[in-house]
Amino acid sequence: MIEFKHVTKRYPESGEALSEVSFRVERGELTFLTGHSGAGKSTLLRLIPAIEKPSRGEIMLDGVAVQNLRTRQIPFLRRKLGLIFQDYRLLNDRTVFDNVALPLLITGHNPHEVGRRVRAALDKVGLLKKEKRLPLALSGGEQQRVGIARAIVHKPPLILADEPTGNLDPDLAEEIMRMFRDFNDVGVTVLIASHDLALVRRFSRRTLRLEHGKLSEVG
Amino acid sequence: MAFLRKPAFRRGIFRQPLQPETHLADRLKIYLALQKNSLKASFARIWETPIASSLTILVVAIALALPASFNGLIQNARQPVEALETTSQISLFLKPELSNEAALKLAKKLKQNPALIDASLISKEDGLRELAAYSGFGDALAALNNNPLPAVILVKPRTTDADSVSRLLIELKTLAEADKVQFDSEWLQKLQALLAIAQRCVTAFSLLLGFGVLFTVGNTIRLELQSRRDEIAVAQLLGATHRFIRRPFIHSGFWYAFLGAGLAWGLANLLILGVRTPANQLAELYGSPYRLSFLRLTDTGILFGSAIFLGIIGAWIVVAYFLREIDAE
Repeated sequence: MIEFKHVTKRYPESGEALSEVSFRVERGELTFLTGHSGAGKSTLLRLIPAIEKPSRGEIMLDGVAVQNLRTRQIPFLRRKLGLIFQDYRLLNDRTVFDNVALPLLITGHNPHEVGRRVRAALDKVGLLKKEKRLPLALSGGEQQRVGIARAIVHKPPLILADEPTGNLDPDLAEEIMRMFRDFNDVGVTVLIASHDLALVRRFSRRTLRLEHGKLSEVG
Repeated sequence: MAFLRKPAFRRGIFRQPLQPETHLADRLKIYLALQKNSLKASFARIWETPIASSLTILVVAIALALPASFNGLIQNARQPVEALETTSQISLFLKPELSNEAALKLAKKLKQNPALIDASLISKEDGLRELAAYSGFGDALAALNNNPLPAVILVKPRTTDADSVSRLLIELKTLAEADKVQFDSEWLQKLQALLAIAQRCVTAFSLLLGFGVLFTVGNTIRLELQSRRDEIAVAQLLGATHRFIRRPFIHSGFWYAFLGAGLAWGLANLLILGVRTPANQLAELYGSPYRLSFLRLTDTGILFGSAIFLGIIGAWIVVAYFLREIDAE
């Protein structure tokens, strides 16, 4: 599903964030990406949806060379991904419902179908009763679950989560991780970046480890 | 059209569409529903910020109302001038020694001329009688030994544009019987020339103020873009195309222009209403049935059409510039 071939990302100000990173994630896998903060986890995750371009190397996403996509093609790539951010990236002036509906509006879904799909996604993350709330009226864990509902509402085959539990207490963090495992159980490929090694170990899945921009441990 | 467009590539996971393949008719329905929702949402956003929005709409309205009302007034002035035009005539004064028979013969000959609608003779005697009747100098005229008035042929030209009239004047002047030729409507031509200048000024004004509309709407949209920067960034992360991002702003531009044009229409007619009473009095003094009219349907159409065009173009340019900046980052 995902294949990195000798990917290097260099920033003019701060030098190499990733050097010669190569790995594969197969379809239907749940993979963790760990490493201390600043090791390059976020950079790696930003390369997959073409938010940034690699300085060198190749990124293949199910046969598509991401680094070669033209600007007008990138939106169509992103529509097939579910992105989850540490800071949630919700629209705070829109209700929970409108936030989750956004990917469906972007892909031009039938408006009559949107309500059903949004409620199904909110039901999965247990927020069905809060669809009319504004995000800032919710707790951090609830906001992250809105973010997750938004990432799965269009049923993407691949979910990328960047520190999804970074701002949450341990119980909530585990609950969120279990949610990702559930998605994986129904066949979705999931890649989760997390610095919480203890949490990652408890799930005993394949783990990639980044250190100073180098992939030091693959297992 | 957006609803016709398929994803730019289909390989691997991209081979399976996210939504079931929809028929063209369904895609059209979805497209129209999206447009409708976006139009509604854009209007709601304007409604939610009444002060800022009404400022923009007011500036747009004033910029549109000025050329619209001047144009309306010029169109109004044209009608009576055009009506006068058809009554314009040339007075051909004949040499005093010419006999009545010769004058009558000339009038008959001129009547055959295809360039003329009519040629009627006012003989020396008729002229004196008319003058005595209308001027109130009857007694003084009766005291004269002989009739000082020349015979006149009133000539009505078929066409009244400057070229053909001046050609006709030369032709009449060279007649052996002619003493003097006078075109009674020269003042009318001057008035028409003045109106043409005014019309040109209004056109130039309209262009200038049109740019005003473009920049006003553009600037408002630019501020809106800045305040919704985060939202745009999120939408782009979720796979929004430029078209998707552009749509609500284009619709905002449409609403500003549409509402501005509506207000301008009201203002222009109000201005005409203000001039209406004295103008109608003037027309009455001249015994004309003519009355000042409000903006005609075609002018109203042009007002709304050009306003909406400018509003949409203004929004488009600003959004295109903004998106190019974002892509470069």
